Amino acid sequence: MNETEFERRLGAAIREEMPPLRAPEELRRRVRAAIRGSAGGTRVVRTTRWLALAASVALVALGGVGGWQLAARRTAGSALADEVLASHVRSLMPGHLTDVPSSDQHTVKPWFNGKLDFSPPVADFSPQGFPLVGGRLDYVAGRPVAALVYGRRQHVINVLLWPATSRTDGPASRTRQGYHLLHATAGGYTYWVASDLSVPELRGFEDLLKAELIRSSR
Amino acid sequence: MEPDELERFEAMMLPHLDAAYTLARYLTGDALDAEDVVQDAALRALKYFSGFRGADAEDGRAWFLAIVRNTARTARQRRRADRADTAFDEDQHSDALANEDPSVDLDRQETRERLQVAIEQLPDEFREVIVLREIQGLSYQEISEVTDAPVGTVMSRLSRARRRLQRLLVRGARPGERVQ
Repeated sequence: MNETEFERRLGAAIREEMPPLRAPEELRRRVRAAIRGSAGGTRVVRTTRWLALAASVALVALGGVGGWQLAARRTAGSALADEVLASHVRSLMPGHLTDVPSSDQHTVKPWFNGKLDFSPPVADFSPQGFPLVGGRLDYVAGRPVAALVYGRRQHVINVLLWPATSRTDGPASRTRQGYHLLHATAGGYTYWVASDLSVPELRGFEDLLKAELIRSSR
Repeated sequence: MEPDELERFEAMMLPHLDAAYTLARYLTGDALDAEDVVQDAALRALKYFSGFRGADAEDGRAWFLAIVRNTARTARQRRRADRADTAFDEDQHSDALANEDPSVDLDRQETRERLQVAIEQLPDEFREVIVLREIQGLSYQEISEVTDAPVGTVMSRLSRARRRLQRLLVRGARPGERVQ
């Protein structure tokens, strides 16, 4: 294979394997708001990272006052639940479910390379009735996280996970606006599971997920 | 700014948000930094819009991407301010013609992963031409406008970038490894 042939194949491989990225909806919204704000002379909304930083500073400040610690943690857990719920609901809007639609774990896992500072464990639970639908990037708890999407009949299950840094407080399960949220830490990862699936079925899925996280951490 | 001027700006700039994000993402290597860069670039573009001579959205792509590129470079320099990074040097970073066996098996399942890793390891000046040409499909002329380099330089840089990619792929480079 000569050099030109290699270049042709290289170009084709890049075009095929590495399509242009899509700007996140949140960015689109932010840019529009910034332009309108700037052109109209109003204040520009700063980025989510600064908001996240401000929020975490506020929480640290709260946590420093002994008696407030528990309340702060509960607030943090509750705020996180809100974020997870928002992520789940947003994902159900047309075109938002996956960045990489694939039932192949060997396609989904490498897709996260270079997008996250960790390589999330990805497993397909088709044999158990929870086929992998795909993955996407999301941003919760002040950091980019992996979102894995699974299906169960007509239901969508979102799994958000990231390396565990501290204990996540608040109830391990809750129901908001008809969606069930489960969360725990396993295999070094904090995960949240969100779905409108019945709680017993969702528990069944969580058991699979937990086992996989523990298995992959060994 | 007049409302219709603002609308004209949005019609020119918004269609290129994906392209801007893609370029920023590859140049910064970070999803959040990329978003900040795109937002800052959009505001800069708004500021300089009166100097934009193009007629339609098509013309705006290279113009806007040039602003994105410069914004990303500024952001990166700020980041690296206290790190002793060697500046890009054509001679130092240029390759002799790669002598390795070029028969890289690009059909493997991990192609995407390997490409991603290899592209991330390219020096900035190589990475940006690969992204603009191979991923975004810009013409040499457009890349020349974006990178503020003559077309001939763009072409030779692209050629060297491909050879460098080839070497990285042959060696099966792994994340974190820096090739000098």
